[in-house]
Amino acid sequence: MPDLYFAGVDVGSLSTDVSIIDQSGKVMSEIVIPTGVNGSEAAENAFDSALKLANLERESITAITATGYGRASVTFATGKTTEISCHGVGAHQLFPKTGTVIDIGGQDSKVIQIDSQGRMLDFTMNDKCAAGTGRFLEVMANRLELDLSELSSPLNIEGESAPISSTCTVFAESEVISLLAKHTPREHIVHGLQRSIVNRIWSMVASIGIKGDVTLTGGVALNRGLVALLEEKMGLTLNIPENPQTVGSLGAAHIASRAYINQTGTSRVKGVK
Amino acid sequence: MIPARSEYLKELAQSGQKIMGVLPALYPRELLWAFDIHTAEIWDPPGEILHANAHLQTTICPIVKRSLEFILKEPDVINAGYLFPHTCDSLQNLGTQVKDLIGVSLPVYTFYNPKGSFNTTTTTYYRDILQNFQSSLETSYGPLDSEKLLTACVLSHKIDSHLITIQHARMTDQLPLSNSEFFKLMRAQEYLLPKDYLSLLEQVDILDQPAKTTGARLLVSGILPPTPEILEFLDELGVSVVADDLLAVSRRIPKFPMDPPTSALDYLTDRFFILPPCSTRGGDLDERLYHLSKLMNESQVQGLLFDIVKFCEPELFDHRLLVKTLRERNIPVLTLETELHNHISGQDKTRIEAFTELLFDMVVT
Amino acid sequence: MSIRAEIKYKIMKDYGAPALMALQEFKRRKPRPIPEAFGPPLESNKRLKEILSRHYFLSRYVPGVKKVAWVTSGAPVELLRAFDFYTIYPENHSALIGAKKQGADYCGIAEGSGFSQDLCSYARIDLGHMLSGKTPAGKLPKPDLLFCSNNICQTVLYWYKAIAHELDIPLIHFDAPFVTTEQTEADITYMAQQLQDMIPILERVSQRVFYLDVFEDILKCSMETSQTWGAILDAMKAQPAPMTIFDAFGHLAPIVSLRGFPVAQDYYHILMEEVETRVTQGIGAISDERYRLIWDNIAIWYKVRFLATFFAERKMNFVTATYTNAWAETTGYLDVKDPWTSMAKTYGQIILNNNLKHRLELMKKMIKTYAVDGMVMHSTRSCKPYSVGQFDLRKALTADLDLPAVILDADIADERVWSEQQIHTRLEAFCETLEGSRNA
Repeated sequence: MPDLYFAGVDVGSLSTDVSIIDQSGKVMSEIVIPTGVNGSEAAENAFDSALKLANLERESITAITATGYGRASVTFATGKTTEISCHGVGAHQLFPKTGTVIDIGGQDSKVIQIDSQGRMLDFTMNDKCAAGTGRFLEVMANRLELDLSELSSPLNIEGESAPISSTCTVFAESEVISLLAKHTPREHIVHGLQRSIVNRIWSMVASIGIKGDVTLTGGVALNRGLVALLEEKMGLTLNIPENPQTVGSLGAAHIASRAYINQTGTSRVKGVK
Repeated sequence: MIPARSEYLKELAQSGQKIMGVLPALYPRELLWAFDIHTAEIWDPPGEILHANAHLQTTICPIVKRSLEFILKEPDVINAGYLFPHTCDSLQNLGTQVKDLIGVSLPVYTFYNPKGSFNTTTTTYYRDILQNFQSSLETSYGPLDSEKLLTACVLSHKIDSHLITIQHARMTDQLPLSNSEFFKLMRAQEYLLPKDYLSLLEQVDILDQPAKTTGARLLVSGILPPTPEILEFLDELGVSVVADDLLAVSRRIPKFPMDPPTSALDYLTDRFFILPPCSTRGGDLDERLYHLSKLMNESQVQGLLFDIVKFCEPELFDHRLLVKTLRERNIPVLTLETELHNHISGQDKTRIEAFTELLFDMVVT
Repeated sequence: MSIRAEIKYKIMKDYGAPALMALQEFKRRKPRPIPEAFGPPLESNKRLKEILSRHYFLSRYVPGVKKVAWVTSGAPVELLRAFDFYTIYPENHSALIGAKKQGADYCGIAEGSGFSQDLCSYARIDLGHMLSGKTPAGKLPKPDLLFCSNNICQTVLYWYKAIAHELDIPLIHFDAPFVTTEQTEADITYMAQQLQDMIPILERVSQRVFYLDVFEDILKCSMETSQTWGAILDAMKAQPAPMTIFDAFGHLAPIVSLRGFPVAQDYYHILMEEVETRVTQGIGAISDERYRLIWDNIAIWYKVRFLATFFAERKMNFVTATYTNAWAETTGYLDVKDPWTSMAKTYGQIILNNNLKHRLELMKKMIKTYAVDGMVMHSTRSCKPYSVGQFDLRKALTADLDLPAVILDADIADERVWSEQQIHTRLEAFCETLEGSRNA
């Protein structure tokens, strides 16, 4: 039987990621590049790079699902799906016991509840403001004159933390400025900021409830300090993918694969009991 | 063909028709009709908010803001005055703010809606305030012709009967209208003369047999229907809003058909108390859940959409329990927050698409 | 009612509570240093703390002895007193939590449970307390009954409805129609009848019979207490004022939550005496009163000390407020011989249930009679009836009376709603204007 290949293209606000898999789910290649100003171009470039890395031609890709903020601009995609579905499926592929997915992206964050097949049961999104997203950390890193990576190192959970009370990024930034003016040590401020994000994320999670294992995705999952605090707050261990940024594109690739293999082009609607 | 709101009202005003601007939501419109006053409702006038911000804080709901913006423009189409029914704190205060502090050149009326269930005390009160309202209108417009009031009640009753039939037909797929078309029809009630509205309803085609449908079915709950853009988007995705629990639509239609009116006062009082439960009238939560369950069963929906106006306190308090209960019953729920712009953000598009994916077994292509 | 619980309650009331007060007094030997800007603190503060602590302390021994009711601040509580309900005021409790700067914590619990951040913070804190059982006041008893009135806002109805559903207990709502111009006969009849309609349910829940004469005595006590409170507020017309409105925010608690009890009645006599003495002796709340201010809206509970100090240091004293006045303004309508109708008039015309023309006239009168030089308006995110219309009230007052005014955007109990920069800028600008207009 000839090998079938499927691709997922996730055009996010900050990065564009591509995953190519075969019909057994084996990952052939994954690419992450900055989106820049042109999502369509980024998608083309990322796709080409992924193909090269996998040693495949465009024609050998049977189906391509586009997802993410810029999914409409992926002209070569054969289907489109929201990143919510894709993150659910992607997390399920990496950690089959996942029941809850927390995705903290550059501009938004979401919590998704999935079933044993990785299909969405419920979701909630925070996309109205930056607090609780990667953007929040960027703004603060800038203000503290630190590299983003310096905001990610593991910290002493028991250590001192300067409380940041504002829920708004803009006001929180003002608080950081005041703290710096009072010569508060930077580690304490960083600790306070981490706690602030964790509180925001926790509210979102609490609003939907925890089910099964919890998997954390998105670039912020690489922030070990934040992960430790989140685990402490939630009282459990989080599944962290090796490549947290490509969970969406991986999910998209699997969705492309499922749709093709199951040969269901039209939708079936499940009824409410 | 439904005439557009502003042109229709402009023509009406030019023809000499008395038009009262009415804020949300419940009021004895039949009484105003009996004085030959047309009731043009003000819910979400479009346009940029500029002047209202000088009078209202940022955390005030967009219905109140847009209404004030409209009033401040001193629109020609409103020539008989403004009526502020009592609905919530913000609208309550807007009424007195406009009347007593900002000042307008037209008379400002208010009407209190009792926040209690049906009993002798509340019904007595309601009858009293109806009569008080009548007296206050009489000081400007002369004595009320009681025949005209009964005629108005009969007209209102006819409209209700048609609306109940149409609502039911939609739930059972016997009304072949898109989401956009359906809610345009429902919202026409806000500005058409009642006799014009009745003719419009009489022309609505109802199928003898339910049509075959393949799309997803939703119930929408909130104050206003989703914006036209959202309704169109839902139509595109193959999602039908087949039932509603909206203050501007179904929460103003009696739960069941009433007998044709013989006494105006009885009719108006009874009608008020058999409206579906509403957060703005302190509707009991169990009653609200029961009402929603009934609607969901009758219309066989797959999920619920809460379209909440930002800062709307009555809705937000109830919302939490309603969603919690629905989740416990494994009923998919999507909550959108609206500021009443007719522009659907990328984020909301994603939310709606994701919810649709949830409803459909396979993902949207 | 269990005998054991009754005995325990009695012991705690007669011995436990006084012992606790003595212990607290013993612990309090070292007084906190008073900033120079303030005059001598009120002696009555001690007694105030005692009666409030006692009330919360005793509340944990109440289950099994008395039925418990949670009540809104504007509700006609005298009716509940006639049935011997132990009353808790969630608004008072939330204010306490706000003052301790713990509001955000409790709000977070409610928000985590699904309540929007855009809702009133008193409600969110109370819901957070109800859902978690947490409270800094020791341990609050669960209610047997909820008693609310929308004469302060409609929100209390939505809030109490949510609690009623969660705890599966009865909710009695006293519907007070908003006063557009004047109260009508219909409004008064409606309210008077509602009060009488409540009696059977109250009898059933409390397991006590209603006696009109008991009720009349309670009304009399309540009336007298309100009148004394009114007199205390009146005494602040003196120059220098013997108290500051920030003090009054604290001394408000008994009239709100213990109204109808002799303990509140007695307390205000003590406070009145002290205030009168200070007036006679010319003792002011702040050491050098140069400017007299009016405060509009509820307190910013988490910044009371900061604001009191800020203004005292600039020789500015708040001598009157619409908020503290609310529990004295309509007392004149009460008539023990005509309880139902007079309560309808008293409770139906509470400032927040009355039109803005009335509020404007009231504020003008207060500004004139208290010789006020400037106005601070707290525009609170949580309270729509108080905040919607403030911009136009400010405009009218500054125009008519040439009065410097400032609006502070904050909240009653959620300490996250506070922009340090913005507030400071506005306060400084206000002070400059005030001082400038004096020198001009």
